[in-house]
Amino acid sequence: MDNSELNRLLRSAEVPARPEDYWEDFPRLIRSKLGRPETPPRGSRRPVLAWALATAATCLVIGFTLGHWHARDRAGANNGLILQNEKFVHEILSMFPNRVRAIMKDEDGLRLVLSEEENVPLSIPLWVKVCQGLKCVTLVTFSGQELSIAGQKMTVLSDASGGVILVGDQFAWDSKWPDQRMKDLQVQARPLEFAFAK
Amino acid sequence: MVAGDDSSETALANLRSDPEAFDVMVRSHQRMIYSLAYRMTGSESDAEDLAQETFIRAHRQLESFRGESSLGTWLYRIAVNLCLNWRERTQRREQLHRDWSEEQDARSPASDPQMAARVQDALLRLPSKQRAAIVLTVYDGLSHAEAARVLGCTEATVSWRVFAARAKLKRQLKAFNNG
Repeated sequence: MDNSELNRLLRSAEVPARPEDYWEDFPRLIRSKLGRPETPPRGSRRPVLAWALATAATCLVIGFTLGHWHARDRAGANNGLILQNEKFVHEILSMFPNRVRAIMKDEDGLRLVLSEEENVPLSIPLWVKVCQGLKCVTLVTFSGQELSIAGQKMTVLSDASGGVILVGDQFAWDSKWPDQRMKDLQVQARPLEFAFAK
Repeated sequence: MVAGDDSSETALANLRSDPEAFDVMVRSHQRMIYSLAYRMTGSESDAEDLAQETFIRAHRQLESFRGESSLGTWLYRIAVNLCLNWRERTQRREQLHRDWSEEQDARSPASDPQMAARVQDALLRLPSKQRAAIVLTVYDGLSHAEAARVLGCTEATVSWRVFAARAKLKRQLKAFNNG
């Protein structure tokens, strides 16, 4: 007997068939042994569809909100004034309670920096503008947030007297001395006097 | 190896967090794993238990699986290791099965319906690691290199085990093949 004849013989011995509903139920059996909650039976996509629709709706709302305010900001000479608009900031914070780490605006437009968990306490918003040459990034953030701004990792802090401090790996900037330069960066920062944050 | 064999970071993160994605993985591989377990054990009920245990173990080990191999290879490895351990625990059961097979042969001439049982018996007579090598290469179509990854040995070792297993199987099944 050569190898191919042996293979033919071996393969002709089939595994006993299991009924189709055994295979249908098999994943559910595994799940029950894992002690996990059941996913909906096959053919029922409603909970997944509901989540997908909810996520899509949320993205649409965010997109419209940012787009709406971005358009208004462009009408206002595109200088980042939008981030000083209390209504705008309040709307964004309401959509993501305790998750907004920063609202940033740069040459690419508006974007959100969100925390994965609801662990960003509401405090006085801090407005920060960092320019490197002609390129500027403007953002609203909160004391204690570590962010990447103009390619540099910085922590934004507020002090007891209402000033703002930016701390990087090799520099520190204090709003008490606004004219100081950090490397080739120009910085402006101040707390925003928003009623909702008081 | 099989459809749904994606072991990319995204796919793995999905498996860890999404029960439905895990179900899809189970569905994609359940028959393959069951067939492997049956050929390794010769017992439908043991194959069921081992197949279930394979996916339960896979779920527990998902966090530590970094996608170094395909999902299929990884699942094979878990299943083969379970089957090899099963082999050690059920020596007595196998002996009973052999005794039954010999009794059947003595009573009636070999025929097609019995052929599957005879082949399975011949497989069970192999040392477990040779059996694993034959099952993976002949039934599941793995190359020697792929089987080596599943078995955690070198390709040369797999080649030797396959060679030795074939020699034994040919001896066992020679009479059957000659009709």
